[in-house]
Amino acid sequence: MELPVKQFQTRAEQAYLDLYAAAEQALPGAGNPWVSDLRARAIDAYAALGLPHRRIEAWKYTDLRSKLTEALPLARATGVAVSNEDLEKALGGAVAKLDAYRLVMVEGELRADLSDLAGLKAAGVEIVSLTEALQHAPDWLEANLGRINTQDRDPVLALNLALMSGGVALRAGKGVTLDRPVHLVNLDAGAEAASVVTRNVVLLEEGASLTLLESYGGIGSNEIQRNAVTEVKIGREASLTHIKFQREHDKVFHLGTWLVKIGDDARYQAFQFSTGALLSRNQVYACFAGEGSSLDVSGALLMRDHQHCDTTLLIEHRVPRCESRELFKAVLDGEARGVFQGKIIVSPGAQKTDGKQMAQALLLSETAEFDSKPELEIFADDVVCGHGATSGQIDEDLLFYLEARGIPEVQARALLVQAFVGEALERIEHEELRDALGRASADWLGVTFD
Amino acid sequence: MLEVKNLHVAVDGREILKGLDLELPKGQVHAIMGPNGSGKSTLAYVLAGKEGYEVTAGSIHWNGKDLLAMDPSERAASGVFLAFQYPMEIPGVATMTFLRTATNAVRKARGETELSTPDFLRLLKQKAAELKIDPEMLRRPLNVGFSGGEKKRNEILQMALLDPSLCILDETDSGLDIDAVRIVAEGVNALRSKERAMLVITHYQRLLNYIVPDRVHVLSDGRIARSGGPELALELEETGYAEFGEAAA
Repeated sequence: MELPVKQFQTRAEQAYLDLYAAAEQALPGAGNPWVSDLRARAIDAYAALGLPHRRIEAWKYTDLRSKLTEALPLARATGVAVSNEDLEKALGGAVAKLDAYRLVMVEGELRADLSDLAGLKAAGVEIVSLTEALQHAPDWLEANLGRINTQDRDPVLALNLALMSGGVALRAGKGVTLDRPVHLVNLDAGAEAASVVTRNVVLLEEGASLTLLESYGGIGSNEIQRNAVTEVKIGREASLTHIKFQREHDKVFHLGTWLVKIGDDARYQAFQFSTGALLSRNQVYACFAGEGSSLDVSGALLMRDHQHCDTTLLIEHRVPRCESRELFKAVLDGEARGVFQGKIIVSPGAQKTDGKQMAQALLLSETAEFDSKPELEIFADDVVCGHGATSGQIDEDLLFYLEARGIPEVQARALLVQAFVGEALERIEHEELRDALGRASADWLGVTFD
Repeated sequence: MLEVKNLHVAVDGREILKGLDLELPKGQVHAIMGPNGSGKSTLAYVLAGKEGYEVTAGSIHWNGKDLLAMDPSERAASGVFLAFQYPMEIPGVATMTFLRTATNAVRKARGETELSTPDFLRLLKQKAAELKIDPEMLRRPLNVGFSGGEKKRNEILQMALLDPSLCILDETDSGLDIDAVRIVAEGVNALRSKERAMLVITHYQRLLNYIVPDRVHVLSDGRIARSGGPELALELEETGYAEFGEAAA
């Protein structure tokens, strides 16, 4: 006889279901059947899956079920005043002052008073807040929301879809090219402990070209559970540079997922930079749906104390002749833990695939830990795929070389860490953005380089 | 004046320098020659302060200051410069950034004003031109993809920028063709002055045709075995190091 195995439900697991039940009627788009239907199916999926735990391979090193002990109430829009100084405090000067079309979301609410909506519209980009879109969706949104490179087995995504209450939807029409990046600020103004659940949708039509920076930071100090999803669809010959900058405070749980679908002869250049949050999980699910395309998903993370940062990638080559590159650099001090899981799947028929992946850690203390798990699943025979992982300490010979040139030890060590991170940052083509992230890593190190 | 007295140095518990004495006055260039394994590079590293080189006895003073009490960056600030036999490659550090960081660190430690970016660039441009260094090279990561000659020229460029008073050149000619040796030697000679002392460490006499030393010392089995004028180097070229415990090549 087979016994049914039903896992015991934790308090937090149940609390999310309760949260949904209580909020359902008040969530944006509640009156719209297509929205209610999306949410209802998502919460059912979550109920069946539960919170992910270490016995699920994809969550082996990040046991969310044991780490999440409660479900915080959904964030409420407060309309609180936010100054430029607040943004600089939250993001650091270099990122806050980036020359960009700025969109500011406070606790998930798109704030027209802080955003350059007019400028972005004039530049040819359609933009609508998620709240508005769930009530009166443009056709292009309804056809895509919750439908781009969906992942059925991910309860974090299911929860997001069920509870989404903030975010923006952007569309760059055929051939639209922007002169400056779009900077999407996710600010935690810190009025109260909350779950902030946002979902963005970014569509690039044929030949469009965009640089999108998502930044996450706060001026508060309350607990935050963030579940942020961005869905991205890149059309034929379109190009998206997609950067994430996360420096949230140490009471934040940051769950971030990018769902990406890439069309023919298109380009996706992604970079994730993290120094913040107590626990962060950065997921990128990307698939090639059109031939002749390329992606680069790289990143750098700098962690200390008891921070935990998990990067989990799934790159699917479904069609022939595409190229994927990943380079992640982890700098770990104190008792910090870095996790890298990178999986590349090459479907049968996805011939001439070229995939390369590398994860490297620099351990600054004896107690820091780095776990790396590359996985290649290749079902085609004419492909070039490779992966590598290294973990090491600061090279004493390099350190001596710098010190022998008069650079004091503390500064020399910082320079070597900066160099280690710099190799990944070089993947960012946008110079001002690359410099801003370089300065952010110098900030983390507590040094300044001119 | 560099004064090394009865210097004993061990690496991993094995004694390499066994009572080395050396005096190098300001304004002079001395060459240290010797067979492989005689302790030449050990002497260079211990002067610059590398970890893992344990001084078990003896002393090193530069202009009266106890070098052994200083860490490597303090030694650099007090005027010691080691041109490495194998300069390190550091991907991710732009050569220009490195040069400016080092120059200003040393200036700051010496109580001089740090150079502004335009002033530094002016100085760099001038020194680089003297050493026939392509400005494009300075934009690349430090020593990455540099040829052997470019690396050594970059060492001499650093020497020119940091304005040291004691220059130690460790096998600066190794791996260079004759044109590269000439360029490097010209760079070194341009820095000879009555305020500056130089210690040129080399296995071969060749470099000393271009950098003519005031004195030549032969290092053998961890001690100075013989000292003489520049003619000693020529003699060694003829006879090899056979009398110092190495078979003639």
